[in-house]
Amino acid sequence: MPQAAEENLGPSLSATADRDNDPAIEVENLSKRYETVDAVKDFTFSLERGTIAGFLGPNGSGKTTTLRLLLGLAEPTAGDALVFGSRYRQLDRPARRVGAVLESSDLHPGRSGRDHLRALALTADAGIDFKRVDEVLELVELAAAADRRVGTYSLGMRQRLSLAGALLGDPDLLILDEPTNGLDPAGIRWLRRFLRRFADRGGTVLISSHALAEIAQTVDQVVIIDGGRVVATRRLDELVRGGQSLEEAYLELTERPVPE
Amino acid sequence: MISTLRAELLKQLSVRTNQGLLAATLGIVAFAVALHGFTLPADDLGTFENQVMVFGRGELLGTLFAALLGALSITGEFRHGTIRPTLIAMPRRGRIMAAKACVSALLGAGLGLVASALAAAVGTAALSSRGIDLQLDGGDYALLIAGGAAAAGFWAAIGVGVGALVRNQVATLVGLSAWILFVEGIVVGDLPEVGRFTPGAAGAALGGLAPDTLLAPAIALGLIALYTVAALSAGGSAFAQRDAI
Repeated sequence: MPQAAEENLGPSLSATADRDNDPAIEVENLSKRYETVDAVKDFTFSLERGTIAGFLGPNGSGKTTTLRLLLGLAEPTAGDALVFGSRYRQLDRPARRVGAVLESSDLHPGRSGRDHLRALALTADAGIDFKRVDEVLELVELAAAADRRVGTYSLGMRQRLSLAGALLGDPDLLILDEPTNGLDPAGIRWLRRFLRRFADRGGTVLISSHALAEIAQTVDQVVIIDGGRVVATRRLDELVRGGQSLEEAYLELTERPVPE
Repeated sequence: MISTLRAELLKQLSVRTNQGLLAATLGIVAFAVALHGFTLPADDLGTFENQVMVFGRGELLGTLFAALLGALSITGEFRHGTIRPTLIAMPRRGRIMAAKACVSALLGAGLGLVASALAAAVGTAALSSRGIDLQLDGGDYALLIAGGAAAAGFWAAIGVGVGALVRNQVATLVGLSAWILFVEGIVVGDLPEVGRFTPGAAGAALGGLAPDTLLAPAIALGLIALYTVAALSAGGSAFAQRDAI
């Protein structure tokens, strides 16, 4: 994997990355029903490559379910959730295309950060060597704590370790669920700059968050969902036209009484 | 696939769970065999059947802890949420399942080997110290230890299958323990004609235990292999089809 060795952040403009012109993410009429609850109902949106999109919505609005469907962890009841034109489970070596963090607590407390990443690198079976593990540890500034058990990590350190895992395969698309949780202000600024550089190099980011002030500084585009439906998909500068803040626009879109 | 196997091996060796299981197995095996070997009446311990039964505690406990090891390899991923990063990195669930079954079987067999060997050693020492004649020859010892290793290996894979099916860690561990320690004992005791076809009895038969009641080792080997395939198929199909949370 020479590309990862020479450049340790951001997607490489390799031949495979732009072989096709499918959007990075394409969600079409996506629905997911659990028992009697529609977690996601008829979602449609897409994300062009090279953009950072905020995925916003109240708790329980279907954000995490959508991300799980995109990542092949759950199967849709109807519709499609495609990544680079394929269902996730059909991607070849997905770790090379997509990195994702759904929950920063998805770590074994008894395992060291380094072993977590090594196990993940081997699991991916995508030619990710242990040198790359050391690189991503440096990148998220965890090299000094790498041999400590994860149980001793702070929330911010776990968040960074999870992000390091997502970056192992030097992916083209990052999917992050609430990545700023537990990060200190320096960490948040670091993440914002990191994501901007990632996108400037052609990478695509879908980032779910409730931290609207932070999101407004980071994203180009927003997808707002509420009550299981997509209520807005547009460029950030179009949404906040007329001096409105993202927070005001968001609350206007999501607090409207839903007609029965 | 080699890479996925290495990943699973690293996962299982990078936490202290399995070291804890090994220590618990050895401690309990030594205690149980010593208790029987030193306290049962000398007359009872004189027969081949009873000597093998006492030495067979190693097989039983090795099997139990190997089943728990296999079950932990999959239920631990659900419990700690690591199943998400695992499946995001490698969405081919059949491959993840196969790697867990292979690595657990290997480590489980190792656990069973050590447990059976320790049981034989402690049992032999206990009987010798009381001047009781040993009825086992070298071949009996070899069968006991090899059978104990094989039974534990199969049961570790069965544990992976059951764990994938049940998912909940506590329920899986309690269910496997209850089955191996109590349910099978009752069935074999009360209904030996049926009981000897249960998976635990087949595992015990591999080591040559209770030859009058249980199946011959070669037949038991085929039977426990079938149980293992069935458990892995059921667990693997549930794992492949169900939402991974």
